[in-house]
Amino acid sequence: MDTTTNDLNMNLFDRVLDKLCLTPIGLAGLILLLILPFIPPFNQEYMLRWLIYCGFIAAMSVGFDFTAGFINIVNFGYMAVAGTGGYTSALLVLNAGLSPWIAMLAGGVSSAILGLVIGMISLRLRGIFAACLSWFFGLAVMGLAIKMVWLTRGPLGLRVPRLFETESNFPFYFLIVILVYLTYLICKWVVRSKMGLAFQAIGQNMDAARTSGIDPVFYRVFNFTMSCAIAGVLGGFYAHFYGILTPDMMHTSKTVEVLAVAYIGGRGSLWGGAVIAFPFIFLMEIVRSTLSHLPGLNLVIYALVLILVMIYYPGGFSYFYDTHIRQPKNRALRYFLNGRDA
Amino acid sequence: MIVLETQNLTKKFGGLTAVNAVSMTINQGDIVGLIGPNGAGKTTFINAISGLNPPTSGMVKMFGKETTGLTPEKMCRLGLSRTFQIPSPFPKMTAIESVMTATIFGNPAGKSDPVAHSREMLEFVEFPMKETVVAEQLNTVQLKRLDLARALASSPKLLFMDELASGLSEGELKDIMRIIDKISKKGISILMIEHIMQLIMAVCNRLLCIQFGTKIAEGPTQEVANDPKVTKAYLGE
Repeated sequence: MDTTTNDLNMNLFDRVLDKLCLTPIGLAGLILLLILPFIPPFNQEYMLRWLIYCGFIAAMSVGFDFTAGFINIVNFGYMAVAGTGGYTSALLVLNAGLSPWIAMLAGGVSSAILGLVIGMISLRLRGIFAACLSWFFGLAVMGLAIKMVWLTRGPLGLRVPRLFETESNFPFYFLIVILVYLTYLICKWVVRSKMGLAFQAIGQNMDAARTSGIDPVFYRVFNFTMSCAIAGVLGGFYAHFYGILTPDMMHTSKTVEVLAVAYIGGRGSLWGGAVIAFPFIFLMEIVRSTLSHLPGLNLVIYALVLILVMIYYPGGFSYFYDTHIRQPKNRALRYFLNGRDA
Repeated sequence: MIVLETQNLTKKFGGLTAVNAVSMTINQGDIVGLIGPNGAGKTTFINAISGLNPPTSGMVKMFGKETTGLTPEKMCRLGLSRTFQIPSPFPKMTAIESVMTATIFGNPAGKSDPVAHSREMLEFVEFPMKETVVAEQLNTVQLKRLDLARALASSPKLLFMDELASGLSEGELKDIMRIIDKISKKGISILMIEHIMQLIMAVCNRLLCIQFGTKIAEGPTQEVANDPKVTKAYLGE
């Protein structure tokens, strides 16, 4: 929790940045993301599609980290939760004629309800057991999407109207960048409040947290529900961007992509995954497209990188950044990296 | 005034009776030492009272109100706080954040300035490091101080200390005695599990000795320490 937020000496720019949970370098990064599609070679449509996928994984990893990095429960069914939101949204548009924008939010609500259920059931479980439970829930939901052919058309997939009625990917790109930032901002706001302290306490030492007066039931379920709601909205975006929705998107291997990015980015940082996702997933997409005769190679690379990070550098990128880059001697540079409160 | 009272408190794990019908009272201002050989059920006994491991049967009363089986977070707000045998505050949090957790969530009065109150607590236990140090970088002695500050931050009326002094050097023992004395002067009653007789004889006014989960002696310190049953429990026949 920040204790220096109310420093009156900060000027307006710094105060706005602080409220927006950004450092100057973070703002620069965000601006870079917004002008990226105008810079060759990124202005090509297929590259843009990759970047949109990067953005999707980035936002998902923030929502994932909100649970994994704070209350220390790895939600192995995270993509299935997102898929639930995606399917809800798609079905509402197809069958009830709702606008995709509203349907996306409804998707968030449905995922939140699923999250509430998983959260309540996994309440008594710790660590790996809660992870397994969420994983099985994910598999069950995916199984439903495959088997309920009358509703979801099973593995054939649903054809879903896109959010913008244009062939171009540009508007989608800007939307996902906004969604990445919004996800980060909302999570960061919650984490900065008293709640963040409670989340961390529960995640780091349940017994000490309880004897310190924290009611784990409320905070765990709240955290889980919120992170699932985020996944649901993003799942809606996924459905209305690709225009086709198959149960494949709920697969555990997709969750592993999110998990890998969140862990490599650094657990408990929120921003680490979002930053790492763009270069990392982009690289993976290049690998996948150039080595298309070796399907699944990207998954092998995910696994390798993840294992290496977990064993040799469990802090991930954010830890590396905080310990080696964040405190340079130069004052201007330090301001650029930290904002005013350093 | 009676702060805490247990009546026939029993805790069973399957067929094993870890705590067997222990009745005791703690009066306002008491520093009670809970002694007994390893595995006697001392920690289980305080876990049963504080709610981490609810009792199988029996009754717990705090300030005359029944609190049997209440969750630890409720007990905390009623004024019961505790430290842990293996001191384990929150490993990734800074010292001040660890203490703020208990200040914000455990303090029934609520504090208008949790940072200042937490800082005060760290000073009170004479925490030797900077408040921004991350807990996982601390050694056992420092962690014990931090855990004590966290336990005190919820402004308890009764404090359980689980082997706070084990593994301390002579000098550190003196410091801890002084701190225990300060805690007691604040009007906080104390129940401490301890093996170091030197400390017990110096600070406790009453002792409770349990063996195999059963109470074998209770009373003024000298009396219990000289009780043949107690010496036998420790030294054998």
